[in-house]
Amino acid sequence: MAEGARAAGGGKAEAALQGAAAYLPFAGRHDEGFDAAGRVRPHWARLAGWIDEAGPRAVEAAARELARLRDESGIAFTSRAAPLAPDAADPVPVVLSAADWAALELGLAQRARLAEAVIADIYGPRATLREGLIPPGLVFGSDAFAAHAAGWETPPARFTLVYEADVARGADGRWMILADRLDAPLGDGWLIANRIATSQALAEPFVDFGVRRLASHFARFQDLLDSITGWEGRLALLTGGEGDPRYFSHAYLARYLNATLVEPADLTVREGAAFLKTLDGLKKVDVLLRGVPDRRIDALHRPRSAAPGAPALTVAARGGGLVMGNAIGTAVMAYRALAPYAHVLCERLLGEPLMIADAPCLWLGDAAARAQVLDELPFWRIEPLTGGASPDRPPALPDDPAAPLTGERRDRLARDLERTGEAFAAVATPPLATSPVWSGGRLAPREWMMRAFANWTGEAWSVAPGGVAATVEPGCPPPALGFGKDVWVLPDPAAPAPDEPGSLLAARLAEGHLRRTGRDLLSRVADEVFWLGRNAERAESVLRILSVCLRRYLSGNRIDADPGALAELLAIHARGDDRPPSAARLRETMLRLACDPDEPEGLVPTLGALRSGAVRARMSISEESWRYIDRLSADPRWRAKLDFRASGEIARLIEDALRSLAAFAGSAQENLTRNFAWRFLEMGRRIERGTQIARVVSRIAGHQRAHEESFLRALLTYSDSASAYRTRYMMVPTPAAVMDLLILDETNPRALAFQLVQLEAVLALLPSDSPYRRPEHRRALALLTELRLIEADRLVATGPDGGGSARPALAALMARCRADLAEISDALARAYFAHAEAPVALVSQGRSGETR
Amino acid sequence: MIYEVTHRTVYDYAEAAAFSQHLLRLTPRETGDQRVLESRITVDPRPDALQPERDMFGNLAHAATVSRPHGRLEILAVSRVERQAPSQFIFEASSPWEDVRARATGAAAGPAPAEVAPFAFPTALTAASPAIEDWARACFAPGRPVLTAAAALSARIHAEFDYIPGATGADTLPAESFEARHGVCQDFAHVMLAALRAHRVPARYVSGYLRTIPPEGQPRLAGADASHAWVAVWDPVFDWVEFDPTNDLVPGEDHVTLAWGRDYADVSPVSGFVVGAGAQRLTVGVDVAPVPG
Repeated sequence: MAEGARAAGGGKAEAALQGAAAYLPFAGRHDEGFDAAGRVRPHWARLAGWIDEAGPRAVEAAARELARLRDESGIAFTSRAAPLAPDAADPVPVVLSAADWAALELGLAQRARLAEAVIADIYGPRATLREGLIPPGLVFGSDAFAAHAAGWETPPARFTLVYEADVARGADGRWMILADRLDAPLGDGWLIANRIATSQALAEPFVDFGVRRLASHFARFQDLLDSITGWEGRLALLTGGEGDPRYFSHAYLARYLNATLVEPADLTVREGAAFLKTLDGLKKVDVLLRGVPDRRIDALHRPRSAAPGAPALTVAARGGGLVMGNAIGTAVMAYRALAPYAHVLCERLLGEPLMIADAPCLWLGDAAARAQVLDELPFWRIEPLTGGASPDRPPALPDDPAAPLTGERRDRLARDLERTGEAFAAVATPPLATSPVWSGGRLAPREWMMRAFANWTGEAWSVAPGGVAATVEPGCPPPALGFGKDVWVLPDPAAPAPDEPGSLLAARLAEGHLRRTGRDLLSRVADEVFWLGRNAERAESVLRILSVCLRRYLSGNRIDADPGALAELLAIHARGDDRPPSAARLRETMLRLACDPDEPEGLVPTLGALRSGAVRARMSISEESWRYIDRLSADPRWRAKLDFRASGEIARLIEDALRSLAAFAGSAQENLTRNFAWRFLEMGRRIERGTQIARVVSRIAGHQRAHEESFLRALLTYSDSASAYRTRYMMVPTPAAVMDLLILDETNPRALAFQLVQLEAVLALLPSDSPYRRPEHRRALALLTELRLIEADRLVATGPDGGGSARPALAALMARCRADLAEISDALARAYFAHAEAPVALVSQGRSGETR
Repeated sequence: MIYEVTHRTVYDYAEAAAFSQHLLRLTPRETGDQRVLESRITVDPRPDALQPERDMFGNLAHAATVSRPHGRLEILAVSRVERQAPSQFIFEASSPWEDVRARATGAAAGPAPAEVAPFAFPTALTAASPAIEDWARACFAPGRPVLTAAAALSARIHAEFDYIPGATGADTLPAESFEARHGVCQDFAHVMLAALRAHRVPARYVSGYLRTIPPEGQPRLAGADASHAWVAVWDPVFDWVEFDPTNDLVPGEDHVTLAWGRDYADVSPVSGFVVGAGAQRLTVGVDVAPVPG
């Protein structure tokens, strides 16, 4: 079928018109898809046609698929709560014609140039202030101005590498700027993730329409970054961490651009440059994409608002050793600070008229503006001028902005605005253009706006062809960025596509990947991965004890299910309990271990720690490994109150959990390259398993018991070694044989000796500063050798000093194993995680001074 | 008068610090009434780098990095400064405060120098509370010359506030010290700046030293001096004029200027952070010794 045949005429376009016959654009309001008479616009005809042809069920299936894909990528990168826009279920993209896009693209590129020019002037010659183009209070009246970034001998080559804007169309169809995002934007991750999901869920129309791709835009940005870092240089993306609402985007974008994802405390500044704290020591960072606001990144120059552990990045940037995108200080023109004077600034600094006007905005440092806003208040929203973090002293806003403002309340607001007006803007969102959304089984018009993304590419700004759109309630501020509607830009039929073919790009990006992957493991992440290994083993130990006890409890066997014996087994992980053993007490203890958040070694805190550690180490473990942890910790059954009457359920839950942990272990073995991350995971795992074996063995077999055989069987079951024992010995368990299998046998993966063999092997791989083995390595080797020289019979011999029944050799060895493993763990922390320690502020200088 | 100013800062740490980074604003600046003959900063243990940086207010700061383990850090700044008596001003001849405000905020025809505007607006440490505004209003009668308004504020702070060392800290806000009506020089300067900037009168925080003169017949005690802070107010004709609200006087030959900024945070003499030090103990000694000659 010829291009546009569906759109221009023929039966299918007619059908589209009929299907959309019920579509009624708002009177006097521009609509992206339909004209005032309700006729579909040419660039929307194909989508309307597709919707009509596919039918409501296909559209809703696409919506479900989209929701699933978003959820998946959300889970893949964060703690599952990637924010969803209210109408996220609506799969219908916003389609823009090539002509519409061209106008927007030019205007956004101009806006980005303008922002760069104004910011460079403010921190440099200040001509805009000297000439009175902008009032001083606009710059100096809020704490977004970064004094420590002003007046450098050599200013940064550029202040902005990334620019984002919230844009919308007015009722007349003209574009307008709702917000400039200049301080730590980096929302591109959502743009890409959203596009990937939408292009899969709506694969057929996406490919069929020839929607312009995003990849070449990011390839151009990547080229620029490569040209700054050089072949050997390092690119990092600074994020506020898991708690940052934009963490998803940061993680996603870092992976896309092959940047190391770092938090403020992962960086340190030495000799005028910034360095990553890695296991291999300090590694220079050449370019830092900044996803953390200005005021949070420098503990030396902005100690009052800096994030914990923030380094002195200003020193590195000022010394020329670090390029930042965006540079320190760009917050000063963020959100609405540019808006009130954008026209004059554009004429003066760029020598050209402003292409895209701003949504109505008044700067409240101006007395006339304050008076006007007080008179027209329901129309205006009062917001911090530079957005983001709120200034120190927000004005007391009226509780009900729609109510007329009179008397004392008006006076109070007037006084507040007079006191702090410079830091605030009054903004209004006029009626916006609508776009068709899928609602209630058909297309309906909704007001919409979008986030657009631009990157500097060395000579010009490149605007990503697309955006993240959201439908909005009339008059509301732009919503926080998250997943939203995709924006499709159609190719210009008259001009050849400016986008390079996808396969070429993929190849280029892959090259970048090969170059940088897996080199740096941040000290902080090594720490996290190490504890991930330990917590996984700890969870397994608790689950195994629970499993053994539950099975015995349900077995009814007089000896195995003896409350005294089971209480002893549970006490390995459960908190101390002096009550006499009884069936009721056992049930209570098992439930406590399974679902009480306050039980120190219980499953709830252990799985919680496992999961949050996995989130923080997310970039170093495989997606599959992460999913097993996520599935296990997020299993809703743990949170439901477990009921002992449904004991079969509980048993199944425990089995499932053990299987997830086994899958995680297997996946980590199979999917992690044997790099530093794997080594630390492995060491954490071996140290913890060794410690748990020593604990359990000394508790159960530390002395001779009345029904020894029953306890030894429990020990074998706990260690998953019952079948190994049977094949080897074909007889009832005896202490010496069991200890040989669980402690000394280097071929049994559940034996203590096996843990030490593995641990020693990994320790031997770690770099040493001297020709000798590192202390923790020597310690592991000594312990392993000691185990190799012991005979099982001597180990289980009962001695005189414990009243005849104690096994002093076994108890002493187990105690030493635990102590040595703890010491190895501490030594590792000192040697490799010390970089992760956070700096603290120096106490302040004493001040006094008077002559009385 | 020539002074030798010695400013010694010692941090004792409970444990060996692995790394520390400092911002030192300890180099006196040149002014119309002050020449800096010599100034040097030594840090012990020796820092990896002592990187000078001139800030937007013209102060010379140094960023020091110490990356070898150290249980003690000593920062010694020694300067020789020649100080002249300042010119005398007729406060009544200064501009009405409303005109100064209009100039500083860009509302008047003749814009203020770009160097003045940053000082006209409240900062976190100089934000006025409604109580401070009410209290200050009496000093800002319509048309009153800006320097007489400032002198009145200085006199009232001196009269109404108690000087109590240790009652306030480096982060005390003017609203708090105003409520308590006590504090030290830093608090008094912040209260005065809050009152001035509430009216958008450009005023800056000046950090420096004050020479103490021993009572008759007693020897001068070395190290008994202290770092000090006062205020400078802008007038289009007289430019910057200084006031010391702690002592209610116009700073003269006994005051040595170190640096100025919008508030204490811009000019705190020694700040920074340290890794792995545990508890810290800080000892500061300042000596302003007249050099005979």
